[in-house]
Amino acid sequence: MASEPSPSEPPAGTAAGPAAPRAEAGHRRPPLPVKIVIAGGFGVGKTTTVASISEISPLTTEAAMTSVAAGVDDSRYVPGKKTTSVAMDFGCITIDDGLKLYLFGTPGQDRFGFMWDDLSHGALGALVIVDCRRLDECYPAVDYFEKLRLPFVVAVNLFDGSLPVELPKIRWALAIDPATPLITFDAREKLSVRDALLSVLDRALQRGRAG
Amino acid sequence: MSSEQRGGPRPAAGALIRPFLAAGVAAGTSGAAGEREPARAALRPFLLTAGRVAAESSITLDTQVVRTDLGSTAGSALTFERRDIVAMCAEPLSVAEVAARLRLHLGVVKVLVGDLSADGYLAVYLPNADAPHDTDTLLRVIRGLRAIS
Repeated sequence: MASEPSPSEPPAGTAAGPAAPRAEAGHRRPPLPVKIVIAGGFGVGKTTTVASISEISPLTTEAAMTSVAAGVDDSRYVPGKKTTSVAMDFGCITIDDGLKLYLFGTPGQDRFGFMWDDLSHGALGALVIVDCRRLDECYPAVDYFEKLRLPFVVAVNLFDGSLPVELPKIRWALAIDPATPLITFDAREKLSVRDALLSVLDRALQRGRAG
Repeated sequence: MSSEQRGGPRPAAGALIRPFLAAGVAAGTSGAAGEREPARAALRPFLLTAGRVAAESSITLDTQVVRTDLGSTAGSALTFERRDIVAMCAEPLSVAEVAARLRLHLGVVKVLVGDLSADGYLAVYLPNADAPHDTDTLLRVIRGLRAIS
């Protein structure tokens, strides 16, 4: 499945070309978009996480296999599936004049895994949200980001403020790299979400410095 | 045998309908009135793109789109979804946001944005793929997040 190279495109102006249309006079350049992927099983709090910190109320968009997976080998396994739709939510945070952070929630169901390439390409890192009553639901996300070598942090969502299982046990169950941070947070709390995102960025920074 | 055909229970109509068509059925018509369905709900999304699904593949979810001088004066030169997209891009927006606000299919928006860019109505700014590996960018994001309270 993953034998083909990533479907990534060269970033430089392929869409626009050298004679690219220019923005309306008087407009400054749009901010540079950067993104963090919010992953995890169904119902672990991805939408809540995005909603807690996003400047816009989380938006949901539909994406279909035909477009998103164009060129991605997954589609050949389900050749008849042309119009499967999938809801994906996202939000954004303005960092400064020239930089905007987007949060993209992955579709929860495994069968929409094909979208993850699109979401993860060019991402700064990922936050994998875990409900410790249903640990196994985050395995696909952990597997995926490990394989992709995208920096990620595993964050246990404290649904009612308590942690029924100790973190070392969760770490053991997930079998994640000792260097991968495992944190707890509350998806409903803006500052808690902020700190979780900061730990993703710290992890990305470490990885960057480690080469 | 044939008695089954006439009297037997039939599956609900919706069960036979593919997902994108189901919206029209759910709106509650049976029989001939179906022609007057609201077009948007019953349309298969890629009808808007004349069936094309292969958008300029460099256009991603976080690609920024803003209208050009030509776009801002296009007026009635554009119709329907194309006009809506250009109208809302007076300020830079991401492709994902355009799709969500117009309730359009993401793949459709990618194709339409590609067209509008090729025709000069929209300027498209692709994300910088090096950004994730750029320490300065990461530090800027960290500073920006820490400022949130």
